[in-house]
Amino acid sequence: MARNVTGCGILLLLAAGFGWTQQAEKNPFTRFEDIAEGRRLYRLDCVNCHGMDGKSGRGARLASKFRRHGSSDSEMFRTISDGIPGTEMPGLWRDPEAVWKILAFVRTLEESGTEACVAGDGDPRKGRELFLNKGSCAACHTVGMGGGRLGPDLSFVGAVRSHDYLLDSLVDPGKDIPPRHRTVRLVDGQGGRFEGVILNEDGYTVHMLDRGEQIRSFVKTDLRQLEKPKESLMPGYGGLLDEIERSDLIAYLCSLTGPDVRAAR
Amino acid sequence: MRFLILLLLLSRVLSAQVTHEDLLRADETPGNWLTYSGNFQGHRHSGLGEITPANVDQLRLKWVFQRRFREKFETTPLVVDGIMYLTVPPNEAYALDVETGVVLWEYKRSLPPKIIVCCGQVNRGLAIQGDRLFMATLDAMVIALDSKTGRLLWESDMIDYKLGYAATHAPLVVKDKVIVGVAGGEYGIRGFIDAYNVEDGEREWRFYTVPGPGEFGNDTWEGDSWKTGGASVWITGSYDPATNLTYWGTGNPGPDWNGDVRKGDNLFSDAVVALDADTGARVWHFQFTPHDVHDWDATQIMVLVDRAFQGRDRALLITANRNGFYYVLDRKTGEFLHASEFVKQTWAERIDENGRPVRAPGKFPTEKGNKVFPMVAGGTNWMSPTYSPRTGLFYVTAREGSSIYFKGEAVYKPGTRFWGGHFRNQDQDEDWKGAIRALDPVTGALVWEHRMFKPAWAGLVSTAGGLVFGGSEEGYLKALDAKTGEQLWYINLGGRIIASPMTYESKGRQHVAVAAGNGLFVFTLPN
Repeated sequence: MARNVTGCGILLLLAAGFGWTQQAEKNPFTRFEDIAEGRRLYRLDCVNCHGMDGKSGRGARLASKFRRHGSSDSEMFRTISDGIPGTEMPGLWRDPEAVWKILAFVRTLEESGTEACVAGDGDPRKGRELFLNKGSCAACHTVGMGGGRLGPDLSFVGAVRSHDYLLDSLVDPGKDIPPRHRTVRLVDGQGGRFEGVILNEDGYTVHMLDRGEQIRSFVKTDLRQLEKPKESLMPGYGGLLDEIERSDLIAYLCSLTGPDVRAAR
Repeated sequence: MRFLILLLLLSRVLSAQVTHEDLLRADETPGNWLTYSGNFQGHRHSGLGEITPANVDQLRLKWVFQRRFREKFETTPLVVDGIMYLTVPPNEAYALDVETGVVLWEYKRSLPPKIIVCCGQVNRGLAIQGDRLFMATLDAMVIALDSKTGRLLWESDMIDYKLGYAATHAPLVVKDKVIVGVAGGEYGIRGFIDAYNVEDGEREWRFYTVPGPGEFGNDTWEGDSWKTGGASVWITGSYDPATNLTYWGTGNPGPDWNGDVRKGDNLFSDAVVALDADTGARVWHFQFTPHDVHDWDATQIMVLVDRAFQGRDRALLITANRNGFYYVLDRKTGEFLHASEFVKQTWAERIDENGRPVRAPGKFPTEKGNKVFPMVAGGTNWMSPTYSPRTGLFYVTAREGSSIYFKGEAVYKPGTRFWGGHFRNQDQDEDWKGAIRALDPVTGALVWEHRMFKPAWAGLVSTAGGLVFGGSEEGYLKALDAKTGEQLWYINLGGRIIASPMTYESKGRQHVAVAAGNGLFVFTLPN
């Protein structure tokens, strides 16, 4: 999906509205003290999602050479500086020198791994069977062109989540729920009960995608009850799948590194 | 059962499933706005009649949707069963609750750093069918999004954007095909119109707006000049189910202002092409400005109306062209029926009986510059006109004024400007001004006009309530009496209106929406 832009390197449009900024194609800040400064900045800006080791958390695994949005210095600069539209990765409001130094530190994380998601010894083919049949995962999750809309799109989950994160999510789905997939339950003024994932909440209204994948709109003053429980709509799979099955399923999820969205030409 | 019905009444279910039959019958569901122009015929007319000349002065702001961007906001939203879908520059898409403007999902496209466009990183809107939305992008792709989540379903390359190609208009969905053209007429592209399968994005057909060797019209280009002939396509076409023809206006030939390097008529630039919607085969064409040297794209909305013409009921195609003339054609055959000036023009002595202009002498661009009416942006432009079947009138945003046209060198280098000259607008002259004009669609005669301070970039929508909504360059949204042109209401939105307004219904109330500045503004009558 990511368009690999090469050779256009020197002009980068900073999408946040900074205007045109001239940038080098190669990171000019790679000395030891630059990396140290990059580590300090990473701790401030990046650690919450990516973890200090680049292996854990909600953000893409950085302890890897795999980069969906380009791995050259200029591409990585753009990713860090501008963010990635349509994903949870925001842009940084930092000057170019700071971005380069963060990149210098991120490069050191790459040395500690080679794959986005270390699959372990599970069998991804068996995992796919489990995903489609016993686990009924596709009822709520999309992979490629097919699947449900309630849960996160898993088409490239292997590129952005670690093995441990996926295992946690499988056994304890409420441990970390992306904001877009938080559960909402409510009772409207006439006693109708509704449950789904929240699309919007503001001072006056609530919108959800309900279990039937209908978008529903509510005015808050009409509601008798509104809860946003910390648990996920997804059931825990600790009891449903044994250890080997879980390992197979995770191996399958780790194999999902990009949606096949581009029509075959 | 009773319980189920009750549940449906209590919460508002917002869902969108649009079939081709729904699009064919768009006029029967005026509460929705299903295509860029409101219907396949390009009318931009609404059957809603709650807002009338008697109450329009009570309109009040209902909500505003704002985003931060530097580009022009040219979108027309779609509305389907309680959800509004719109694009925001450069290539973002949003679903909003039509009652509140609350965002239900967003899609932001990651564009390559160097997009090549003449006139801004803009987008004019979406198309819908089933539960899919379709957008054409600045990196020359056609994409499909899930209307419930905004998720990208497929994307198809039209062509390499680095050569100066882009796509900016709202697609047109006819049956199982998404029809889209390419922009890039200032970069020596070779224009085309494509159709992609709604299911998987496979390309089904392509029609080149500049014919290649052996094809009809290639001999209207001297030498190899067809290879960089332009004729881009950047406004949505129309569709006539009776003939299964889809009608598209094409852009200027390249280079813009130096015709010496492309001698000939330069087909199918500055023309309307009528294509079989299933195959893309050309059935007829009509060229408004043969061998154009003033950048007068024919990328206007082609409006399809059924009217008596000289005593005979005819299927007509009507359009006000950037070259300053209003045209009436037979849309089955392309036969020329009528042309008349709707703004001041000095480049043609007349239009002959075949629809071909008889050029006035000495009006081509020169190295020293040559003043010609209309201005380079034309007597009108891409902003939508409207046709009201209720008043029987055609309404158009008219732009009065001239430019000085300069001829220069034209050397083609891929992905760079291929202009062959430049221009200077005479925007300090007394005759630089704007108007909204109502024309008799058969004779082109002026019925009324509403004068404006400057030429505007806002389009028009007419309603069954007897109103025409339009906008001004200074940012005033205004309502005129459709019969008389009397101004009944206006409001300053605080930003340029470079878009066409639309109207929809929610909870039984008529709403009027228009993009202005960095916001989308929505108005209703008080409860």
